[in-house]
Amino acid sequence: MTFPLYIFLIIYLVFLLVWLIFSFIGIYHMIKFGFLNFTTFFTVFIYIAISFLMLAVSYKYLIQIDWLMNVTIFGDLSSTF
Amino acid sequence: MLYLYRLPGHISGEKIIKVLRRDVFILIKKILLFLLLLILPLILFYLTVASIYPDILYGEISYPLFLLVVSFYYLFLWVFFFFSFIDYYLDIWIITDERIINIEQEGYFARTISEQRFYRVQDVTSETKGFFPTVLKYGNVYVQTAGAKERFFFQEIPNPDQVRDIIIKLVERSKAAHHS
Repeated sequence: MTFPLYIFLIIYLVFLLVWLIFSFIGIYHMIKFGFLNFTTFFTVFIYIAISFLMLAVSYKYLIQIDWLMNVTIFGDLSSTF
Repeated sequence: MLYLYRLPGHISGEKIIKVLRRDVFILIKKILLFLLLLILPLILFYLTVASIYPDILYGEISYPLFLLVVSFYYLFLWVFFFFSFIDYYLDIWIITDERIINIEQEGYFARTISEQRFYRVQDVTSETKGFFPTVLKYGNVYVQTAGAKERFFFQEIPNPDQVRDIIIKLVERSKAAHHS
């Protein structure tokens, strides 16, 4: 069976969208229900900063992959690993 | 946002005595679990997969898949840790000179705010059970009110005995004011 490698990337992006929704919900709860103080804003800032860092590192590595490459599975297993 | 000077169901002239969250040890436990989940997959990977299939980081399919899985795992670990922190941070008990307020975040888009006036309080009990609660001085405080089916419950708060004493004093003062 042959399919383009970007199928995995699309699945990843769908999960990334779910992650973004979760992140938005978390930040919304902190801002809506947290006390108006330094800790609330600092926590939200740290969350956003580390999230950006993780996304940037992921992007740096994922951009190097040729996602248009076709992949064959259940044909020659030796090329899979 | 929640303002300390404008509490839910604000009573004019009300003074805040204490704002409580779960003991900091509960937060440390969450952080330790997060760190474990952060490091453990790396150790397991290098001890098992990388030694059995050393080519996994060079395969045409396995390498991109590996990157996607690692990115997915750490992004979701991070957001779940954030959720865990929110659960700790947004659960608050506020003791004022008039009442006790419990603000509890029950998952997402579910928030309970309850209060008890001191003149309705009948019994206050503190409880410290277990090794860590005894050593680190945290535990529960139960406040029983007249006619209430459920007791008001301060969960895993620092210095529960001290909090119980504060509530008892405020209850006595409130009842004396109501009788006079």
